[in-house]
Amino acid sequence: MNFLSLAWKNLWRNRRRTLITLSALGLSLFLLQTFHNLSFGVYAQMVDSGVRAGSGHIALYRSDYAQSRDEELSFAEAGLSAAIAQKPGVRAALPRVYLPGLAQSSRESRGILLMGIDPAAEAEVNPFWKNLPEEEGITDSEGRDALVGARLLKELKLEIGNKFVVTVQHRDGELTAELLRVRGVLRTGLKEIDASMVMVGRERAAAMAGIPGEIHELAVILERASDQSRLLPVLAALADNRPGVRAVPWEVAMPNLSDAIRLDYASQKFIFAVILLIVTIGVVNTLLMAVMERIREFGVLLAIGTTPGRLRLMIWHEALLLGLLSMLLGTLLGSAATWYLTARGLDLRTLLPAGLEFGGVVFDPVLRAAWDVRWMLQMGLYVVGLCLLASIYPAIKAARVPPAEAMRHR
Amino acid sequence: MLLRLAFRNLWRNSRRTLLTLSAMVVSSALLILALGVFSGMFADMLASVTEQYHGHLVISRPGYQDDRNMFAHFVADPTLIDELRSYPGVRGASPRLRAFGLLAHGDATRPAELLGIDPERETEVTSFAQQLIAGHYPERTEAAALIGSGLAKKLGVVPGDDLVFLTQAADGSLGNDLITVSGIFETGAGNRDNALVLVQLPWLQRLLVLPGKIHELALTIDEPMAAAEQAASLKAGLPADLETRTWGQLLPEMQEVIASYDVSRLILVTILYAATGLGILNTIFMSVLERSREFGILMALGMQPRQVRLLVLLETLILALISLILGVAAGIVMTLYMQRIGIDLSPYLSAVTYAGGTLAPRLSAALDGKNLLIPATALLLVALAAGYFPARRAARLKPVEALRED
Amino acid sequence: MPYAITIVVLFCLGLASCASALDMRELIRQVETQYRGSSAQARVSMEVATDNWRRTLEMESWSLGREHFLTRILEPPKEKGVATLKVRKEVWNYLPKVDRVIKIPPSMMGGAWMGSHITNDDLVKGSQVDEDYTFALLEETATSWRIECLPKPEAAVVWGKLVYEIEKTRKLPVRIDYYDEAQKPVREIIFDEVREIGGRTLPARMTVRPLDKPAERTVMRYHDIAFDLALGEDFFSLRTLKAR
Repeated sequence: MNFLSLAWKNLWRNRRRTLITLSALGLSLFLLQTFHNLSFGVYAQMVDSGVRAGSGHIALYRSDYAQSRDEELSFAEAGLSAAIAQKPGVRAALPRVYLPGLAQSSRESRGILLMGIDPAAEAEVNPFWKNLPEEEGITDSEGRDALVGARLLKELKLEIGNKFVVTVQHRDGELTAELLRVRGVLRTGLKEIDASMVMVGRERAAAMAGIPGEIHELAVILERASDQSRLLPVLAALADNRPGVRAVPWEVAMPNLSDAIRLDYASQKFIFAVILLIVTIGVVNTLLMAVMERIREFGVLLAIGTTPGRLRLMIWHEALLLGLLSMLLGTLLGSAATWYLTARGLDLRTLLPAGLEFGGVVFDPVLRAAWDVRWMLQMGLYVVGLCLLASIYPAIKAARVPPAEAMRHR
Repeated sequence: MLLRLAFRNLWRNSRRTLLTLSAMVVSSALLILALGVFSGMFADMLASVTEQYHGHLVISRPGYQDDRNMFAHFVADPTLIDELRSYPGVRGASPRLRAFGLLAHGDATRPAELLGIDPERETEVTSFAQQLIAGHYPERTEAAALIGSGLAKKLGVVPGDDLVFLTQAADGSLGNDLITVSGIFETGAGNRDNALVLVQLPWLQRLLVLPGKIHELALTIDEPMAAAEQAASLKAGLPADLETRTWGQLLPEMQEVIASYDVSRLILVTILYAATGLGILNTIFMSVLERSREFGILMALGMQPRQVRLLVLLETLILALISLILGVAAGIVMTLYMQRIGIDLSPYLSAVTYAGGTLAPRLSAALDGKNLLIPATALLLVALAAGYFPARRAARLKPVEALRED
Repeated sequence: MPYAITIVVLFCLGLASCASALDMRELIRQVETQYRGSSAQARVSMEVATDNWRRTLEMESWSLGREHFLTRILEPPKEKGVATLKVRKEVWNYLPKVDRVIKIPPSMMGGAWMGSHITNDDLVKGSQVDEDYTFALLEETATSWRIECLPKPEAAVVWGKLVYEIEKTRKLPVRIDYYDEAQKPVREIIFDEVREIGGRTLPARMTVRPLDKPAERTVMRYHDIAFDLALGEDFFSLRTLKAR
């Protein structure tokens, strides 16, 4: 106890040195925490928009539909979405039908992918709808209103309000054609979607394929991505009575997105390790320097009768105090920065060429941080640990040096 | 005189010098390595965009790349191709003819894109030959097809099987023929693996009734980042009715990805520099501040404050230069090692499709002059700044006060 | 091949004994009942001129009702034997060169049939004019009627409207104009060269013209038609498609 107050006094005796060390440590910790929280947030953002545009945190498929995309592999919805949506932790359950087909206008025809959706549920979470003016949204699951990819619309020489005919294969092998009407335009920035996607109400699409009430995919969006493994068996159990229907996590349903994120994450991790290393070296160096410069002072202490053991203890206590202070300072700064980056985000739109928006899926120009409190604490404690570690060698050395020599020491 | 004193000072307190030195060397080396890894990823991305399909430059009729109109063809003039191939900065040129139609095997029918190529020339531009998972790359004249893995699976074909291709030929007839699968490729990019077939150029020319015609010439060049300049320099040697597009124009979304990647790199690099600079700043700051007493003695002995300031700056400069030489050397060694060996992530990841490009699951590095010069300059400036303030302070000290200081 | 079928529909329309009052729907319905179960075999030549090619095909075709249709190319030699079978809403092509039958998937239905201005989808949709449209008499002159056909609100047709011109005396089609939703004409079909074929008086030539490409057209000419043959549904099979 005594040591702590002594150490405290010691720290402030050479205020300048302490402040420099403190700022070095604190700023390093602040950098670590802010950087981690920012990339943590950006990944969460990528996963979030990725799963919303894609097949959700958890997707239900029959058999290997995710890979084969065989239209035969549909299954009965029969209230499954509603049942899943009621589970705590589930934000939305999106039933979907996918049918390859042909769209024709009076001028042109193009191969398309017809996507049947539940408009009310989809409008809330699908990022493709984000840019859609309200009057362009579709509302009726059985209606003929359709959202058409921007490029497809242009190629078919259609405009909003125009009619067009979509032909798909019926379950019995024959072709069915239906009249649809352009309600809105999908501008996702993703070439494949803009050039080939037609979205209509789910029941309309299912009826065209002769599979009323059936779906190909049930995309489940969760409140928190971390609930995924907990909810996976719960959702699978709900679909138990449907033979062959499986619940798969998004990493399996969208391997490309998952891999892209993981590859990016791997490189970030590597860079992070490098930053951590650089910070560690900086911190250890500053500390070593600070303690080593005081060997003369330690000699004086030894000469006036301080035992080496007490000296060591005092050095360690100083290091501990310094570490805790830096942790406090760094975490305060880190929290402030994280708070700012969470609330405001890092807006890169001015840095990027105009019109750069990558579908809201892969890249959003406003980077937002997210809180990872556990990790912030870990980093703080890491800095405290570094302080203690960096003081071991000087502490031992200082205690061993004969006072006379130490006093000569510069 | 002052220089000698600076050297002696550094030498005299070897422990402090070594500490400062080690901090600067290790952090600048790590910074160079990190930047090298970024460059490596960038190079991978660029290669993935260009080597897997388009090449760096594509020469075709105006508008062909937008609507892929079958009739926007031109004569595959061998002298033009040879001229292009020998043009400075051009590494290879591959003539191609493209057709969209139906591919059938047994009862299975799938829409497909056929690319008629000269197998030998194509290897100069794309890497299909290295992406085979079954069978072999076709010989020069062998009437054989390379088919994407996803398409092969959907059609149920293996090397040796026959495929029927059906499309509308240029004379309006129903062009159709059999072709044998010689190999299956897997690029990792779904849109190609599920729809692309490579066939011999003469075979496709016959089927489409377009003898001697091609749709595009795909080029690889030495400086992909200067594709626009290269395109401009080629213009004079090309017929007026042909246009050249760069990979950036062909894949605008890839350019966006690269731009966004540049931004995230900017953020990371800022943090990297900040962390490195902070460490170095502190080390030097501390090492100079701790020497107040020493400067006091020097001034008491009659040294001018200006000289003291100069001495400190000189010491810092020497220290910074030595550590930068060592740091850059260590950085180059680590980058080269990383470039050669890399970190293989394939146990955790499959190939990643990234806006039209495909990345191998591997972290590697690339050596880029900018990655050495910028950190070196920046660190030198940081070191001098770190030396300047304490030097000024030292010069302002009153000898008596300084001597009293701990 | 809506025109091929349209022409048959209209031929039959010509045969319909129309009473004094002109009930257009009834007219079509009569055509429908008369048409169902009737079969035909024809030798047809098709001339196609597009901006990119000119070609002439000689074909032999069979039909049964509106659901079954089979055609085989006789000339030119390069394409001899290429055949198309349409049963209800499915289309197959037979390719003699590789001896394979290929079913046209939905996404390829928009493709041109045999390089003409007729799409595979046109073959499938055939003529459902009597089911998909409502009719109104637009104009009646001394020699002809002009009938406006407006698609029913939910009918799967891409057109804004069709206008038929029908010659009064022989009840033969003269022309059909296709309009888009903005009532802008998009293409036209003209029937002429009326003569006696297969025991009936019919226009032997039909010209399809897309109006946005004035130089392009497809001309079909009927050389022989034999009506009411003993063709069963089993004739329109993949086996017949492959035969020969």
